[in-house]
Order: sequence, then C-alpha cells, then structure tokens
Amino acid sequence: MAQEAHEEHGDGFEPRILVFACNWCSYAGADLAGVSRLQMPASCRVIRVMCSARVRPEFVIAALSKGLDGVLVLGCHPGECHYSEGNYFTRRRGLFLKQLLEYVGIEPERFQVRWVSASEGAKFADTVEEVTEQIKALGPNRPRAHS
Amino acid sequence: MQERLHEIVRKLLAEGAIEYFIGYGQGFEPHDVAPCFVAQEDEVEKLVWGPLCAHNLSKYALRAKELDGKVGLLVKGCDARAIVELVKQHQIERDEIVVVGVPCQGQVDLRKLEEVLGLPLEVVKGVEDVGDDFLVTVGEEKRKVPKEQVLRDKCFYCKHPNSFEYDFTLGDVMPFSIDADKGEFALVEELEQLSLEERRAFWQKQFARCIRCNACREVCYACYCKECIFDSLAPRWIEKPPLLGENEIYHLIRALHLAGRCIDCGECERVCPMNIPLGLLFKKVQKDIAELFDYEAGMDLDQVPPLIDFKLDDQDPFM
Repeated sequence: MAQEAHEEHGDGFEPRILVFACNWCSYAGADLAGVSRLQMPASCRVIRVMCSARVRPEFVIAALSKGLDGVLVLGCHPGECHYSEGNYFTRRRGLFLKQLLEYVGIEPERFQVRWVSASEGAKFADTVEEVTEQIKALGPNRPRAHS
Repeated sequence: MQERLHEIVRKLLAEGAIEYFIGYGQGFEPHDVAPCFVAQEDEVEKLVWGPLCAHNLSKYALRAKELDGKVGLLVKGCDARAIVELVKQHQIERDEIVVVGVPCQGQVDLRKLEEVLGLPLEVVKGVEDVGDDFLVTVGEEKRKVPKEQVLRDKCFYCKHPNSFEYDFTLGDVMPFSIDADKGEFALVEELEQLSLEERRAFWQKQFARCIRCNACREVCYACYCKECIFDSLAPRWIEKPPLLGENEIYHLIRALHLAGRCIDCGECERVCPMNIPLGLLFKKVQKDIAELFDYEAGMDLDQVPPLIDFKLDDQDPFM
C-alpha cells in the first residue's frame, strides 16, 4: 500500500501518518492551525480521542504492522491533562513502546509522542511538518500485512 | 527430597486441607515430565521431582477459583514470582492455595541436551542432578553432562533457587556456581548492539516462522483473560492466517501485555514448536521495565505495576 502511494506521487513519496489528537488540547491546536491558515503537509489522518491515554499501544503496533508510515500521538503537556493525569500514563507507555519497537527493528521515528496544547497551532503545524520530513527521509514503511 | 514431598502431600490430603495437589509426574516418555494432579493419598507416589521439572505450575493456581476447597501447588523459586503476581493482579487469593516450595538446582533444556548428546531424546531414560553435573541415563549407560552445557538459559542467572513464597518448604539449597560470565540481560544486549536493519531481519525471520498455535499464550501464567484480544471478533485485531504481519502484531501485543507482568519463567520459549526465541523478546521487556521504571514483576506485593502508575518526574523525551 505504501509502495502504491510512493508510485502515485511521481514527484516524491508522501507518507501517510496516523495522528491521535487529544480532544482537549491537540485537536483544538490542530483546529487553530487550520483557522490560522498555516501551511503543513497533507500527510496526516487525524483521529480525535478524548485523551492521549485513550490510545492503546496496540493501536500503534497494529497501524505500523499494517503498513502505515508513521503514528503520531499528541497530548496535553504533562501537568495540563483535562483528566489530571492521563498523559502521564501516555508518557510511560510511549517510553516503553518506543524501545520495544526499536528492538524489533521498527525505526523509532515512525512512532512519536508530542505535547501540543490548544493554543499551540503553530507547534502543531511544525510538528506535523517535522515528523513528515523525518518519515520521508526513511521512505515508506514496508507493507507487512500480507507479506 | 521426593520423599519429603510425598510426606507433605500425603499429610495435606489426609487432613483435607487441599482438594488436590498439582506437582510433576512421569510423562509418556522416560525423559518427559508432565504436570500431575493428585487427589488420593495412595496416588502420592506418582509425584516426582528432578531436573526435568521445568513447567511453571503457577498457572494451575487459577483452578482454585473453581473449587470450594484449596489447591496445593509445587512451586520453584522462579515460579513463586507468578504466585505473587497472580495475587497482586487479583486473580487468586493467597489463602485459596497451599504452596509447597521446592529448592531447585537448575533445569535441563531438552533441546540443548539433544544437541549435546547427538542422539534423539527417546534414548534418554532419566536425568539426575549431581551437583555441578547432570547424570544422564542413555540406554544402559550413565553419562555425565556438565550443567553449563544443558541448563536452561534462565537458570544461568538464577536469583531464587529457593522458593521465597511458600506454606511448606522442602528445604534450602545453596545456589550452584556456574561461571557463565554473563549478566541477566547479556543476550538482549548482544541483540541491541546490532543495527536496526539487522535486528529487523532477525525478528522478521523469527516471526515469519510462527504458526500461531497459541501455545505461548496458553502456557503463560499471565494469560488468564476469559476473552483474549486475539480471539475477539469485534474489533478484530489480527487475522487468522499466520502471515508475517499478523504474527508480528501477535508477538508485539503479547510483549506489551506482559510488560511488568512477565516473571521470566521461560515457558513460552520452552513450548514453542517452532523454536522461536521468545525469551529474547520478553527479556527485553523485563529489561526496559526495570531500567525505565525500576520495577521487577513478582517480587513485592505492594509495588504498583509500572504501567498503571506514574511519577511526576518520569523521563520526558517527547516535549
């Protein structure tokens, strides 16, 4: 699938990145980036979740194994969670999962966690751009699902 | 030690303290030891103990839930951690089971033994522990095999030769000395030294061989969920055919679910019919949990599992 995407865009590979954005901060941040008309790559597929801790690590593993090029989890800055402590759990899971993925040979850039607040529209755009660039440099994720 | 075990079990059954006792018994082949359930006093003689008793019987502790009475269990030092974890995870009450702790001087890895002997396992008529060697009966002949050649990997860095969680104990042993010159995580570190590409190649090769027989899940003490995520049809996490991508999801999710719960009993690797080195995957999980969150499963009943806990000053590389 990723290979198709690669061939479709003769000018270059446009990664497909799955973004999980927290309803209370990052999703609003994405909204702000939009209404501010900030330019950013169209590589993201955003899924709104009520808290970054809603993102089960299984989601990330399944997405990457099924051939998405990257997964980006966005949450509130530590200490600013709408539910007081959700993002602390995200942080622990992120730390652990990143190392596990790296161990089995998945580039750590393909799974990233970032903190983006509702007022940080520019940071959202920058993050998306940065992650897209990193994943572009890596190239498409191997289509794993049916090999 | 076997006699002492028989004595204790006979007494427990006679008193009616337990409904049945789960220990090790002779399997179909002479080299084969299998879990053995003893409910009658006159069956006690069936129980054996030796260097082939590799199984982690703690999984059977969950049976206590289905009974009115108690279940007796034979537990090695390494498996005692599973008992602590099961209590911690609210799967059993500690007073529902009677634990008989057994000191262990290392268990034989049958695959290694087959390799060292250069003969099929069928010829092995028995294995005895004689200090720093195993005395292997091959046909009529008895052969001495040094322990370091045939020990299970995890026995090299054994930290609990004596069960630390028990109601009755069969005694204590001194840890035997093996100059393995390796740390607990040596094999994981070796793999970590490789490049990302090499590691990927390694694991893809391993996962591609998986036939998804689910033996690793069935044998795992921690896989007690009534409905496993892999059996769920909605949402459907993985497809049934054992394709590489699906296998990868399967093993990674298992690693994830056992984070902070894996007690290094090594059963998954032992039962794998395809010889996938699952120990390497789960050892990594233990290593990360220990390094990141300073946690070791099954050691302390009061320690909160790492992934349902947090500290305000956890590492934060995400910014």
